[in-house]
Amino acid sequence: MTQENSSNGFASLELINEVQQFLYREARINDNEQFREWLTMLTDDVHYWMPYRYQRYRKNEKEPTIYDQSYYCDTMQDLEKRVVRTETGTCWSEDPATRAAHVITNIEVELTDNPDEFKVYSLTTVHRNMNEDEEHTMVGHRTDLLRRVDGQLKLAKRKIILDQNIFMNKSLNVYL
Amino acid sequence: MNNTDYNQYIDTKEGWIDRRIFWEQAIYEQELKQIFAKSWQFIAHESMLPNKNDFYTTYMGEDGVIAARQADGSVKVYLNSCPHRGNKFCYADDGNTRSFTCNYHGWSFGIDGKLGAVSNPHVYDEGDLDKDKWSPRQARVDSYKGMIFATFDEEAPSLEEWLGDFRWYLDMMLDNDGETEFISGGIKSYLNANWKFGVENFVGDAYHALWNHDSGLKAMNNGEGFGAAVTEGSFHASVNGHGWEFGTDGYADIAILGRPKWTEYVQNVIKPKMEKRMGKLRSEIFGSLASVSLFPNCSFLPGIQTFRVWLPRGPRKMELRIWTLVNKNMPDEVKQEINIGCMQTFNPAGVLEMDDGENWEGNTQVNKGYLTRQEKLHYGCGINRQIEHDELPGIIYSGQFNDANQRHFYQRWADMMNADKWADVPTRYTPKYAGKPTV
Repeated sequence: MTQENSSNGFASLELINEVQQFLYREARINDNEQFREWLTMLTDDVHYWMPYRYQRYRKNEKEPTIYDQSYYCDTMQDLEKRVVRTETGTCWSEDPATRAAHVITNIEVELTDNPDEFKVYSLTTVHRNMNEDEEHTMVGHRTDLLRRVDGQLKLAKRKIILDQNIFMNKSLNVYL
Repeated sequence: MNNTDYNQYIDTKEGWIDRRIFWEQAIYEQELKQIFAKSWQFIAHESMLPNKNDFYTTYMGEDGVIAARQADGSVKVYLNSCPHRGNKFCYADDGNTRSFTCNYHGWSFGIDGKLGAVSNPHVYDEGDLDKDKWSPRQARVDSYKGMIFATFDEEAPSLEEWLGDFRWYLDMMLDNDGETEFISGGIKSYLNANWKFGVENFVGDAYHALWNHDSGLKAMNNGEGFGAAVTEGSFHASVNGHGWEFGTDGYADIAILGRPKWTEYVQNVIKPKMEKRMGKLRSEIFGSLASVSLFPNCSFLPGIQTFRVWLPRGPRKMELRIWTLVNKNMPDEVKQEINIGCMQTFNPAGVLEMDDGENWEGNTQVNKGYLTRQEKLHYGCGINRQIEHDELPGIIYSGQFNDANQRHFYQRWADMMNADKWADVPTRYTPKYAGKPTV
């Protein structure tokens, strides 16, 4: 797969384009609530993590770990449970449906030591509208690891840092 | 003097509540004065302040406070407001520091909350500023088995009296196998709902779980729902407005986390020790379908292990702070199972929590309708089911699908709202453990 990578160690335009298309497709699938299909875009060993963010003095700053509280700290099995909830037919708070738009920007692709794995930075801005008139915007800084599996890109790791100290709404019912 | 009789807003005999207590600004202002300026309130867990100079910022009502570990191991709680112009002098959530300095003019406060140095002290002439008289107000602080409480009311009864026989129940959560601790972190979120809807849900609303949480339960429990309500062998217990509703099957709430290592640990390690130290009944209660609130605004779920406070932010908004409670001596892998399970169920993205917020916002926001808020709400379930029980302390009702704990929570609310002095707040149960330990 080295043909994807330009000789100077930077991601090729083809690779960048492929990654962008992957992220846009993932966003569209989430906006359309095709959560089963979304799971097929993830590796079996996926780790989907949105840590709690400490709001501390600069002298006290502390990086979150997976052993701290998180919004998400999910394996494939855990994510499947969340998808099951939406399929039960008794998920009252999602009926009528939440409308969500994921806007994915600031995409950067970096090569790694593994020719089949790529580190990808992006910004996700999610506009959510629900019930009569409830609007909520969330901005997440994402660091992903994409892996090529049988020729297809898949998401293997995602870390999302949310730009909110107090989560500004009653629920986080969309994936960032 | 207080000219309104707040009993007009509740009727525990007929079983209704007046919706205006979830909406009116004037009632809310009275809550800040009569409830949040007087009650013992949960501030922090001891484990959040393990070292000297550790601090945590929170609120008592809408009064911002700092809780800080002192050199002698004690905890002080004081207002987070500079006595010079009033600005908050700490804007961090938590951390470690020897002192705080106000951003505005540079007045500095020790970790004990006492005014120390001021910037450019030569601007003050001799006699302008008596530093001993200008420190932020200090609260009374006490703790019960790891939970730090504070009140700004010098006249308030002791924490032990405030908790009363509820300690018998608290021990199941806080002392089932030695000391407890919180998982690091502290997710906060806003809900456009009155604070009491969170408290009353946890104080006694098992009923909603069957219907509202069907999807979340099926997600966590391999497609199985709760089934029909089982009322045998389950109870409501109320003490001073605190309430614990519970079954006695021992495992329903633990099963909701869907974490085998946690389930096995409860069965093999915790339950046998509980039975030996606390008796069979308490070992059967722990882990059953249950929920708990402490008056006025702290709640938790034994077995699921979520722990929280509902901080008032006006009559129509609250700030929810959540933690996860574990035993200190648990193996790390069990702690992490609880951490993950609790995250998946009871946090803003949790498969159970997500459905609750929707309801409470709806409960609150409909009251913008003038006619709507003149209507009463029904709290009559199980109104004739009060019983005497040989072992269970407090006011006991049979059947956990019941509004009893809610009725007694709102009775305590009205008692506090009406009271000009503590002697006016009646003790409405017969204590069995006054002055005695509960383990």
